[in-house]
Amino acid sequence: MRKLLTLSLKEVLLAFRDVGALVTMLATPLALTLVMMAAFGSGSNSTPISDIPVLLLNRDEGTFGQALTDIFSAPSVGDLVTATLVEDEAAARARVEADEVAALVIIPADFSARVFPFGARAQELIGLDVTTLNPDAVLTPQQQAGFAQAFLESQSPTEPVVVEIYASPNWRISALVVKAIVSQGLERLNIQIAGMTNIVTRLAAGMLPAGQSDVDVAAAMGTLRTGSTGQEAAGGADADLPIELVTTSATGRGFSWLGYYASSMAVLFLMFAVTSGGRTLLAERQRGTLPRLLISPTPALTILLGKMGGIVLTGVLQMLILWGATTLIGAYWGHPAGVLLTIVLLVICASGVGALISAWARTPGQAGAIGSAVTLIGGALSGSFFVRWNLPQWVQYLSLVTPNAWGIEILSRLQAGRAPSAILPWLGGMILLTIIYYGLALLGFRRQFK
Amino acid sequence: MPALVEVQNLCKRYTSDAPYAVEDISFDIHAGELFSLLGPNGAGKTTAISMISTLLSPTAGAVRVDGYDVQRDPMAVRRVIGVVPQELALYDDLTAQENLRFWGEMRGLHGAELQREIAEKLALIELTDRAKDRVGTFSGGMKRRLNLAVGLLGRPKLLMLDEPTVAIDPQSRRYILDWVKKLREQGVTILYTTHYMEEAQELSDRIGIIDHGKLIALGTFEELIQLVGQHETLRLQLLQEGGGAELAAALQSLEGIIQVSATDGEVLVNVTSAEATLATVIGTATGLGLSVRTIDIREPNLEAVFLHLTGRALRD
Repeated sequence: MRKLLTLSLKEVLLAFRDVGALVTMLATPLALTLVMMAAFGSGSNSTPISDIPVLLLNRDEGTFGQALTDIFSAPSVGDLVTATLVEDEAAARARVEADEVAALVIIPADFSARVFPFGARAQELIGLDVTTLNPDAVLTPQQQAGFAQAFLESQSPTEPVVVEIYASPNWRISALVVKAIVSQGLERLNIQIAGMTNIVTRLAAGMLPAGQSDVDVAAAMGTLRTGSTGQEAAGGADADLPIELVTTSATGRGFSWLGYYASSMAVLFLMFAVTSGGRTLLAERQRGTLPRLLISPTPALTILLGKMGGIVLTGVLQMLILWGATTLIGAYWGHPAGVLLTIVLLVICASGVGALISAWARTPGQAGAIGSAVTLIGGALSGSFFVRWNLPQWVQYLSLVTPNAWGIEILSRLQAGRAPSAILPWLGGMILLTIIYYGLALLGFRRQFK
Repeated sequence: MPALVEVQNLCKRYTSDAPYAVEDISFDIHAGELFSLLGPNGAGKTTAISMISTLLSPTAGAVRVDGYDVQRDPMAVRRVIGVVPQELALYDDLTAQENLRFWGEMRGLHGAELQREIAEKLALIELTDRAKDRVGTFSGGMKRRLNLAVGLLGRPKLLMLDEPTVAIDPQSRRYILDWVKKLREQGVTILYTTHYMEEAQELSDRIGIIDHGKLIALGTFEELIQLVGQHETLRLQLLQEGGGAELAAALQSLEGIIQVSATDGEVLVNVTSAEATLATVIGTATGLGLSVRTIDIREPNLEAVFLHLTGRALRD
């Protein structure tokens, strides 16, 4: 254990005394983060504005709920969204929380009944379909009397009905687009219901018993439209529907350029550092220090673990410094416990790439070239240079062979305000990747040490 | 005197179709002895020392150090050996003191014992005042000395030095040779490899001459000289660099000349009597239109032994 610690600390000391390594590990990612901040500001957003994935949960059995969902497939919406009808609210909310979709629109069960309460009553009393109201319908005197009575009784005020948009903070622009579409749908409903109200009011006015004034009819008309108080309905046919559109966020925080680039640049340059650290194993062999270590009374496995331990320690220190420094300039990385756990596991995973390269490369130069290529390609695929979720879906899946992708995914979730427990499945995936890397590296090391 | 190192029929080939880097060599090194492996570059010295130090596994044969078999009990062997590799196996970004501490801990030293060893070794190599300077700022000679000091950490029973004087200035070389002599006087058992015959001659109790992986001669300096007999060596330096081979060919068949070897403008001639053959040799050179710049007459030495055994100069 003492030798393991000595070997690891030696690696850390050497890394932090190497000016070139310090430039790569700390100065460059910090400088690039500042450049990104200058270019994009610290809190702007960038999310797709076509084929926005949306889930629709319509609990309403009436016609207005259906009319609202139909707006998402209307030609005027075009290819802005890709809407999917769902039934399981919990599963749908989970998909929003997992950033798989931009938003979930929830239409409550009594939506139709509450946006036009008298419609259902009219249908019941006179068999009138509110969507095909015919003011010239011929009614019996009993039907007319009942209809008129019901019309007057329907003036009691009701609470507004709530349509919820459950949006992902990482799809902020997309969620605004969804909200605009829902608002557009509600506006159409507004016009439709206004027309129907006029017809019903005219019908009712003709059926009222003598003595009812025009004022009463106008007040009743407003109540019909809004389901609210007569005072609020003073605007008559132009008054708003009794609907409250509520947007709730899956988590507390939205996307931030600064947070995203601070962490993604840190991950990118962590990869540079660990692949470079792996290369030092080959350099030590070439320089003669590795053979000297191997003929000291120290087991080869201890030497290897000490080396990798040093690389991991260096990487963790690098990430902690970058986390601290970027936090000072305003970047938010997420819940500290989650960030710390992610950093440790990410560095171990990334060191697996360094180990893999150094186990199979023949010379330090070869390892350096492979390490740079792997780091840059991995960075491009994973979202170190472009926002990850703007990349094509297949690229996002492909990039999961790199630690960068896992690091950026997990840190983005933490930045969006997720609790550490919410990232555990992702950390599990990263651990699995680490096992694969080290398994392949061990095969190479066995060949080398043999 | 008991044998601290026993090498028996040691062989090494790196791949099954490659020639032997070391082929069937056997020798013992006694406790307190300074044993040199002398041979040209690529002769197999480093491969042999790598097998003795457990870095490489032998293809065949056996090595025992202090009674431990290098293959069965490598960790026990590593505890009793110290190795000074040909490369400067040091960390340039660590100070001299940090290097000694690191390598000392790798040898299992710690605490007061380690501190004492560090101070002792720094004093021994006369680098106490540079203890806190990074090794990257040291001269080549200083690095060599530190490289030697690292090999001595933990007071090994057997110290192996692999060409410790390669690529250093004459002053540092002299320092190292004197230092090795001192260690020998202190009773440290030393295995020393070199391609400089003067070093082997000056330092060694016994010398093994190795060429193309084979141990071609083994004994004390006096014993090896007897292999050549009472011969002398004429060393001629020619003005014409390419004339050596032509002169060597012409001298081969002359009476009194035992062996000739040529490299560029230099010719080594093994003769029964320098006095009797000198005029003939110069005459032959002149007859070929070659001008002799210098002539040395050398007493029998290891160069002559190597020439005698291989037909080639040691530097070939």
